[in-house]
Amino acid sequence: MKTNLAKANNKKLKVVQINGGHNILKKLNSMGIFDGSLIEKIASYNHGPVIVKVMNSQLAIGRGMAEKIIVEEV
Amino acid sequence: MKIVLVGNPNVGKSVVFSYLTGYTAISSNYPGTTVDILKGKTRLCNNECEVVDVPGCYSLEGESVAEKVASEIIKSKDYDIIFNVIDSNNLERNLLLTLELLALRKPIVIIATKTDIAKNKGIDIDYDNLSDILDIKIFPVVATAGIGFSVLEREVSAVFNNFKLPVPKIEIPSDITEKWKMIGEITLKVQKIYHKHPSFLERLEEITTTPVTAIPLAFVLIIISFYVIRFIGEGIINYVFDPLFNNYYMPLVDRFSSFFNEGFLKNIIFSKNMTPLEGFSVLTTGIYVSFVVVLPYVFAFYLILSVLEDIGYLPRLAVILDRLSHKIGLHGYGSIPLIMGLGCKVPGIFSLRILESNREKIIAASLLFLISPCMPQSAMIFAILSKYPLIYTGIVFVYIFFVGILASYVLNKMLKGTSDDLFIEIPPYHKPVFKNLVFKMRLRITQFLLDAVPFVMGGILLINILDIFSILDLLSKYFAPVLNKIFSLPAQTSSIVMLGFLKKDVAITLLAPFNLSLKEIMVSCFFLVTYMPCLASIFVLLKELGKKITFYVIVFNLLISLIFTFIFSQSLKLLF
Ligand SMILES: Nc1nc2c(ncn2[C@@H]2O[C@H](COP(=O)(O)OP(=O)(O)OP(=O)(O)O)[C@@H](O)[C@H]2O)c(=O)[nH]1
Ligand SMILES: [Mg+2]
Repeated sequence: MKTNLAKANNKKLKVVQINGGHNILKKLNSMGIFDGSLIEKIASYNHGPVIVKVMNSQLAIGRGMAEKIIVEEV
Repeated sequence: MKIVLVGNPNVGKSVVFSYLTGYTAISSNYPGTTVDILKGKTRLCNNECEVVDVPGCYSLEGESVAEKVASEIIKSKDYDIIFNVIDSNNLERNLLLTLELLALRKPIVIIATKTDIAKNKGIDIDYDNLSDILDIKIFPVVATAGIGFSVLEREVSAVFNNFKLPVPKIEIPSDITEKWKMIGEITLKVQKIYHKHPSFLERLEEITTTPVTAIPLAFVLIIISFYVIRFIGEGIINYVFDPLFNNYYMPLVDRFSSFFNEGFLKNIIFSKNMTPLEGFSVLTTGIYVSFVVVLPYVFAFYLILSVLEDIGYLPRLAVILDRLSHKIGLHGYGSIPLIMGLGCKVPGIFSLRILESNREKIIAASLLFLISPCMPQSAMIFAILSKYPLIYTGIVFVYIFFVGILASYVLNKMLKGTSDDLFIEIPPYHKPVFKNLVFKMRLRITQFLLDAVPFVMGGILLINILDIFSILDLLSKYFAPVLNKIFSLPAQTSSIVMLGFLKKDVAITLLAPFNLSLKEIMVSCFFLVTYMPCLASIFVLLKELGKKITFYVIVFNLLISLIFTFIFSQSLKLLF
């Protein structure tokens, strides 16, 4: 089932689509978040940022940006 | 020969730089410590080489000021060799930049740092194999301990003496997804991760990331930090510096002053009253303010800040503050410049570079001046209100905080657009390295002494001279009615306001000899802290954000300060 990263459960996820402009895409891509990449959501703040594990590092992603990242559970 | 140190943020470039050059570059455990280039001569190859510490970047297409500074230097190709610093705990993510660098076809070697931490985490990298695949030299090191550099030195010297530096030949795909695919395949071949039980630090990471535990812990930590700073600061003052000053220094000055005849010179240097916080003498008040009142607090603040920085707590605090920050137009990382600003505004303004949009920089800059009195100011407020119950000091600080938040809330509504989203890497916790702490403390304290002491002394000297020539009285005539009518402050305080923007803590000290009432002191403290940035920070702001923004920030500042000083003075009148 597809959902956005802000709503997804704290689990291993696969990125299926990024609904953002060129800038956001570039930023996410350079940190290893791109169509098809595997990430793990590890925490989520109420109305606040989402924390994910990408490759071997942890990233904090603001809610607005997290909503633009569409993922599915793997 | 010119070497550039290039790599992702927080991989250890500044530590490597300090090792290679023998200088001290500030290094901390959060991305975005270095925001400007640093240059130095290295001991490698007979002191003939220059090394440049470049701000960290994830790719050559970065958007923040610091990242743009980096990619500009790298793309200029105005150097002979790249030292690509990578974090061995994060091989895969780091390799993207490495591939981009390889595509530039400039001579390059890799320095892999933090191999000590990687080993503990069960990360095993076959560097020889990686070196073969990428067709470049790789040097695994423990940068903080200086391990692994001798091989680097030997090899690099040999390469330099050869003078023909090899250029990488490996084929690099141009598309970013293709690059990630290539990286995935390489990583699979060279890296093995063994499962280890989570260490103490890793457990701590977990409970400070999970909201239910992280938020209350942050509260507790902030309160503890506040008390520890006060405890250390007060302790040093009461048990060390104040006794030293009174028992050893004062008698010396007394003796010294008796050599002078009454008159002009004596008045300038010693003034009429030599008691430090009553009179206004260069040799007593000047020394007392800089060393006895302010230095202990500066020391205590930077000690706590440096420990938190090195452990890696700041990015986690930023995450927790993110939601609140959005209400005033910032994202969580905007709290980093504000925290720096609690020490001194100047590094605070520099670290505005980690923010991307001008909108955020304007808000953060305004907030920086309104909400966070720098340590010397805070210490002086503590000192001047110390003879009253602590609650009054509390009121002043809470009011400053409240006005700052309100002002940036308004600013956020006034400015077009919305705030950016937080997007930061959260580094794993590190055990603070003692040597690094000492380095950093020494650097920051020296900086404080060099910047502050001459200003304090000079300011006091200036005031005494102005006083003798009755210029102060003249100034007071013009400003007094304003201050008097609006804020109900006595006429003499106007001369202080004039001096206030030269150096705030001096200005607050100046309040002491005037026998102000408690109310008047509280109002003056608020006004002096908020009405205008000090001279040094105006210069830096001009350099960083340009004339127009600086002008707006200052005007906004003054406006808010005038309005809220008026409100403060009126409400205090009502209260008592
Ligand atoms: N244990 C260990 N810690 C290291 C090593 N190298 C760097 N560190 C730590 O890693 C953190 C980051 O180091 P910096 O030198 O500030 O990193 P940087 O690459 O300059 O970071 P930016 O300026 O933010 O781009 C600091 O806390 C260092 O003490 C290492 O080899 N071993
Ligand atoms: Mg650095």
